[in-house]
Amino acid sequence: MTRSLEELEAFVVEGKVTIPMTYSAGAVGSRFLIEMRDNKRIMGMRCSKCNIVYIPPRSTCPDCFAELNEWVEVSDKGTVVTYTVAHQPSPVLPTEPLVVYGIIQLDGAGTGFVHMLGEVKPEELRVGMRVKAVFREERTASILDIKYFRPLK
Amino acid sequence: MGKEPTQEYIQVQINTPRPYRWSTGKYLGKLYKEAKGHKKLVTNRCTKCKELVYPPQMVCGRCKVEAGQDWVEMSDKGTVVQYTYLIFPRWDPHLGEYYASPYPSATILLDSGLYLRSRLEEKDTQKLKRGMRVQAVWKEEGRGRGQDDIEYFRIIEEPEVDK
Amino acid sequence: MANRVAIVGIGQTFHKSKRPDVNQAEMANEAVRAALTDAQLEAKDIEAVVSANMEPFEGIYLPDHWMASEMAACGKSGFKVATGGTSGASGVIEGFHLVASGLVSTSLVVGFQKHDTSDTQAGMSACMTPVFGAGASTGAISEFANQALVYMEKSGAKEEHAAMVRLKADRGACRNPYAQLKLGLKGVEEILASGHLEWPIRILDFCPQSCGACALILASEDIARKISRKPVWIADTITVHQEPFRAGSFGDPTGRETYSQDVASRKLYKRNGITNPRKDIDIAEIYEPSTWEELMHYEHYHFCDENEGWKLIEKGMTEIGGEFPVNPSGGVLSTNPIGATPVIRVAEAALQIRGDAGEHQVTRDVKTAVATALGGCNWTTMILLRRSI
Repeated sequence: MTRSLEELEAFVVEGKVTIPMTYSAGAVGSRFLIEMRDNKRIMGMRCSKCNIVYIPPRSTCPDCFAELNEWVEVSDKGTVVTYTVAHQPSPVLPTEPLVVYGIIQLDGAGTGFVHMLGEVKPEELRVGMRVKAVFREERTASILDIKYFRPLK
Repeated sequence: MGKEPTQEYIQVQINTPRPYRWSTGKYLGKLYKEAKGHKKLVTNRCTKCKELVYPPQMVCGRCKVEAGQDWVEMSDKGTVVQYTYLIFPRWDPHLGEYYASPYPSATILLDSGLYLRSRLEEKDTQKLKRGMRVQAVWKEEGRGRGQDDIEYFRIIEEPEVDK
Repeated sequence: MANRVAIVGIGQTFHKSKRPDVNQAEMANEAVRAALTDAQLEAKDIEAVVSANMEPFEGIYLPDHWMASEMAACGKSGFKVATGGTSGASGVIEGFHLVASGLVSTSLVVGFQKHDTSDTQAGMSACMTPVFGAGASTGAISEFANQALVYMEKSGAKEEHAAMVRLKADRGACRNPYAQLKLGLKGVEEILASGHLEWPIRILDFCPQSCGACALILASEDIARKISRKPVWIADTITVHQEPFRAGSFGDPTGRETYSQDVASRKLYKRNGITNPRKDIDIAEIYEPSTWEELMHYEHYHFCDENEGWKLIEKGMTEIGGEFPVNPSGGVLSTNPIGATPVIRVAEAALQIRGDAGEHQVTRDVKTAVATALGGCNWTTMILLRRSI
């Protein structure tokens, strides 16, 4: 059965939804962020049963479900476990491309965590590179208080 | 829970608008088209039970069969069954702003026999009465929001019996 | 033949209006730990986890993925349920199905919501528009306002009756350590003097927005009888759908869930031999987001005849010491973290059957209890609990 083009023409409603959200970092998350802001220290949480230090810190061990409360300072230096380069612009990128993301395992931490790599050209990136955190001058208790990780010469 | 005492709690504000493109489909789409283009309210009548299906949709909820394409233009006049008015400021996520108060709205029984909920023009809450006769006032420029292209309903006469 | 299933563990958070000290995952974790402690089980004993949450209110999509660790779900099966106000009840029903089917012998159900994240009414309005015609929508409140006005007209109920419902809820909440709103109200006059939210709904006629979580551990019969001194049996559950909030739907100009509540209760009572609900059921924990709603639910669930709901409260029959207690915990009027609320109803009903409700334990001996929920799109769920089967 044929239909006229008019019948098939779709009516699309375009709009935008804005609901302001206020997320709580919680006590554990807050301490992690505050230590970066006030002391340029990176703090992790240790599970003594599994002998792992989690970065970012958390209150429950994913493996053994223990309640965690042993805070441990980890180094601001670490190793790049893997990396990728974002070429396409996107509203979620913190800066204009190229943006280099890496998973960095800091010395003393049992897990890697995601951040950006800077002061490095894409062709110089290597798995296993040694890097060090560069903190911003003005910090606001945000993960971006670390500007990026730069290669250790 | 044995955490280090932290007096300061960090909170993060995120207010990013999320754009959307919503496809209304064949049935609702016709309502939206007629409202925007011709300032009319239309809906379909179920081919089986002959009741008006509003909002227009593919399946009649009562009969559970395809309602069909028997389209009917509905009256733009009706009677206020019940009204209320909003007092606290309410955030409209689609406009990204607060509605003013008081903000009167009503359940209206259209002369076509269907109920719908819409705003009322009259902001003086003392003048609102059940049984008032009202008529739709359409927005100058339809925004393509279907029934919401009706700005509000205006009072055209007082109820016959004092309710 | 299906397994018989019992509740062997109950845990909830102390519900509050704001919880900046925890994120969503940590809050849910508190309830999970409490339930495990109550059941004297460990995380490894749980075989499946069902979580219940409405994402629009916290803007966290797939919270069950984010908090797998905190819900003891790593390495386990399970999923998230989101069915509006009934999310928690649908979660309990799914947890029940998993164990009843015999595929697993224990399941954990966690309902949670952290309302301090955003404006709840805005979240609901975003759901409604562009779903339909909700330029006039004011979130859930305008629905209730409309419904209250129709009820007053139809039944002869007065604003005093709504105020009595709030008084009863407050009395229960003041005796319930977990409840959020403990106002210490002295009488109906105090309530009638308070301000309106959307006429005729007063601020005191409506539920708060809470941050809270509630967890239940369900087990099959052989495990329940081994590990629990006081298993609470899930005798039956029912879910009935209806068209969403549309004025005039199924002949009801308020467009509310009268139809689905009627169908659900009739079917549930019939297949469980309940012919006189106020006699055959000992208490009810119902989902009443407004005081007016509770009066109408008395009728819709057939606790009394049509237009008689306000008489039950006037005669004190639904108080903690009354003939048929309803919401001795303080109900939704005192505590409402949406994803958790229906789980709290089941938890509180189970506590009454166990005799563990402390200061808000009812005087009547509770052998049978019913927990209800209602949600967006006018669903109704009912869960029937028994001390022995």
